[in-house]
Amino acid sequence: MHRKQRVATLAVVMILVVAVFGAAETTRKEMHFKVGRRASISIINQYGPVSVKPGPGKRVMVTAILYSGKVEIDQSKRGNRVSIVSHLLDGADASTGRVDYEVLVPADASVTLHSTTGPLHVEKLHGDVVLEGSTAMVDVRDMSDAHVHVKTLNGSVSLTNVSDGYVEITSVSGDVALNAVNATSVHVNSSSGKIHYDGDFGDEGQYSLTSHSGDIEAIAPSYASIEVVARSVQGRVENDFPLEPEHTSFVTRAGSAFAGTVGKAASSVRLLSFSGKIHLKKREQ
Amino acid sequence: MTCDEFERVLPELGSGHSIEQEEHLKSCSACSDLVADLNAISQQARTLRGSEEPSPWVWNSIEVALRQEGLIRQPHPEHPLLHPPRLSWKLRWLVPAAAACLVVFGVLLHQRGIGPHVAIQQSPPAGVETADLQPNRAEVMAGDDLQLLNTVASRMPSMRAAYEANLRAVNAYIRDAEQSANSDPNDEVAQQYLRNAYEQKAMVYEMALDRSLP
Repeated sequence: MHRKQRVATLAVVMILVVAVFGAAETTRKEMHFKVGRRASISIINQYGPVSVKPGPGKRVMVTAILYSGKVEIDQSKRGNRVSIVSHLLDGADASTGRVDYEVLVPADASVTLHSTTGPLHVEKLHGDVVLEGSTAMVDVRDMSDAHVHVKTLNGSVSLTNVSDGYVEITSVSGDVALNAVNATSVHVNSSSGKIHYDGDFGDEGQYSLTSHSGDIEAIAPSYASIEVVARSVQGRVENDFPLEPEHTSFVTRAGSAFAGTVGKAASSVRLLSFSGKIHLKKREQ
Repeated sequence: MTCDEFERVLPELGSGHSIEQEEHLKSCSACSDLVADLNAISQQARTLRGSEEPSPWVWNSIEVALRQEGLIRQPHPEHPLLHPPRLSWKLRWLVPAAAACLVVFGVLLHQRGIGPHVAIQQSPPAGVETADLQPNRAEVMAGDDLQLLNTVASRMPSMRAAYEANLRAVNAYIRDAEQSANSDPNDEVAQQYLRNAYEQKAMVYEMALDRSLP
């Protein structure tokens, strides 16, 4: 019994030692910058997450956790522009080069984030937001009057509660999910990733959801006010809405293309795929 | 010397000026200010990090594209496009502009159906044997893609597979979009497929060459 206790104690001590040594490898760094209206903040971080939220006052506050000595942070502030770069040193890889960023910025700031692995998270801003990540998962939420530009290779993209701005998403194979996104212009260009839209398409917006082989699913309430065209060259096309026909050059074909209007046709919706399935669904009450 | 004459010789000016130019600079505040501004820009440009200089691959790709479009003909022994510093500072802005023009030009050629690939399909005159001296578009793209993947692999080996898979997906998109656009050139939707497919390819290249990679 005593022996078991000793082994257990030893194990706990070993875990604590490993944890302490492991923790010693990380370094916490804080940076503060005073900025003016509509500041521009750029963060380039190859490995690791970046999270940006609005903070108090006209300040940019950056908290970074570095996971080894093989990465350092280059920072600069010129005028109203703040630039942060994770500078990888020789031999750095995805684990030793990792830096986790948590950033607070003025809500009207423009933010540009580049990361290979991400994930990237931005919320509650109303400036321009440019997010680029190869495999990085991108999550944007609660934005208003913002221009949101997202580019990924195979990182998934999620936009939630985005209103009154411009949205442009290009992803080769990452899935794109838009929930409650009502903007003046929404343009999604995917190759093999799926596109999912769930919202009411607002009013007076232009929505273009296009893919090569990825399926497109758009869910809208029965009160939606849209002029819609949908076509898939090789995939199946389905529609749950009773559409009013309209005079258009767009060629409709049962099962592969449809066009028409719902309600007052306030917003324009184009759902185009080459070989993916398209489904315009009516949301169940 | 007038201001117009001075501006004409401005791109060729080195560090020294002729007596006539010196006199003009002393008497003309507009031109002397201009020279001072340009010198300041030139000095600032020298302080830029080497990593911000486009990779040689970029110059090489531009040259390949120019040759393919027939805008340049003879391969230069010294490969002039591989030596961007030879361009005077006044002409440097032309490089990104030229790259952008090439992309637009390529899309327009596809839209109008008069691209080089159409010329290749034309029959040669009777009695003349021809060899396929001009590589077809698909081969050129494959070569460029391979070069791109090698660049990615050299900088970030773990990302090569991801880029390769995504390039394949984009190339499949381009092939289908081209076929669709060629079968019905007046189909506006087919043209949009094509634009989107090229936009995706441009994005993959842009990301691969982006400075966010180590």
